[in-house]
Amino acid sequence: MSDWHRVCGADEIDEEDVMRFDHGERTFAVYNTGGGFFATDGLCTHEDAHLADGLVIDDVIECPLHQGRFHIPSGAAKSAPVCVDLKTYPVKVEGGDVFIQIPAAG
Amino acid sequence: MSKPLATTAESSGVALDKKTLKGLMRRSDRPGLRYLGFWALFLAAGGGGLALSLGTWLAVPATVLYGAVLTVPAYSLSHECAHGTAFRSRWLNELVFWVTSLIYLEPPHFRRYAHARHHTYTWMRGLDAQMPFNTPLSLKGWLLEVSGIGQYLYDAKHMVRNAFGRFDPDTVDFTPASELPKLTWEARAFLAIYLGGAAAAVATGAVWVLTFLAIPRLAGGVAMQLFTVIQHAEMEENSPDLRRSTRSFTTNGFARFLYADMLHHIEHHLYPTVPFHALDKLNAAIRDQLPAPDRGLFRTNFEVLAAVLRRSLRRGDAVLGGS
Repeated sequence: MSDWHRVCGADEIDEEDVMRFDHGERTFAVYNTGGGFFATDGLCTHEDAHLADGLVIDDVIECPLHQGRFHIPSGAAKSAPVCVDLKTYPVKVEGGDVFIQIPAAG
Repeated sequence: MSKPLATTAESSGVALDKKTLKGLMRRSDRPGLRYLGFWALFLAAGGGGLALSLGTWLAVPATVLYGAVLTVPAYSLSHECAHGTAFRSRWLNELVFWVTSLIYLEPPHFRRYAHARHHTYTWMRGLDAQMPFNTPLSLKGWLLEVSGIGQYLYDAKHMVRNAFGRFDPDTVDFTPASELPKLTWEARAFLAIYLGGAAAAVATGAVWVLTFLAIPRLAGGVAMQLFTVIQHAEMEENSPDLRRSTRSFTTNGFARFLYADMLHHIEHHLYPTVPFHALDKLNAAIRDQLPAPDRGLFRTNFEVLAAVLRRSLRRGDAVLGGS
């Protein structure tokens, strides 16, 4: 089962920027690429750094610790040192707010 | 035993607001291309000077100067490209990464993984993959590093091992298993280029390879090490605070160019996503949270050497003991 959760107002994430969103014990990164809103797991798959501290370049997120890169819409690992893809999550914008759909844990 | 937390701005107690940091992290091709242009000009001038001096005693200082101009920027660009911050265009970053890594003598994929671990556990004994000598540093260890011999031995060993797929435990630890085959093919490619190039030079009598590449690279290796040894040597080990494990220093404009502003080394470790051309601005933004930089490239090297000598003499280990 999945639930939609409000992240923030759509105007709270600048274009080419990312925001951290925590839910329970899980953490996510929610992006505004300029081409739309997207969400992935919050932590880099290489080592534990939060992607919300990274740099959005077009539709790519660069990890702040080692500069590994992921394609935001698909979560695909694009360049070393990352080699494991990120999980992605559905996002919608309704009434000026950004929502993320999070599947139940386990 | 669990590993400690990564060495970061947070673990160092340094903070910078997100908006300022985002502005500093912004990428551009222009500063990197400008750097390449000036590097080409300096190489042409240095190479021309070396060519004119051949056969006279002036060839010695000309080789040293040209060697520094060849080697130090190759290191600087290779390092910057390992972070992916030299250019906005990824293909340009990776192309320059390959070429400069050939001069630096370390395959790029291996360099990127080893350097990532260096940033994760900066100057933590047994964890930092680029802590190149046993500590505390002995005079023998200092000589091996500053001469460049330490780097040649390190890179030759890893290149040969990786080429045969016989990775050492550290390499296996800092490289994801799925990426190890890439280390093998790039090591084979590097060895093929070096050995093939040397064989072709001998076969065709191409002395210029020796005069303008090999010997200047060895001479420039010493200049490069004067920049890199002082990044962390004689700083605190196993500290989560990058301000205690890492050193920034001041130097003149020409040396700053050669080193691509990496004299702001604490700043670089705190925020490695900030490209070389924004390090001055990063320094201005967090200066009040940083220790004063050490003064001067040569002066700082002398201070490190003095500390090594004092310790070696005090220990009475015949100063050349250990490594």
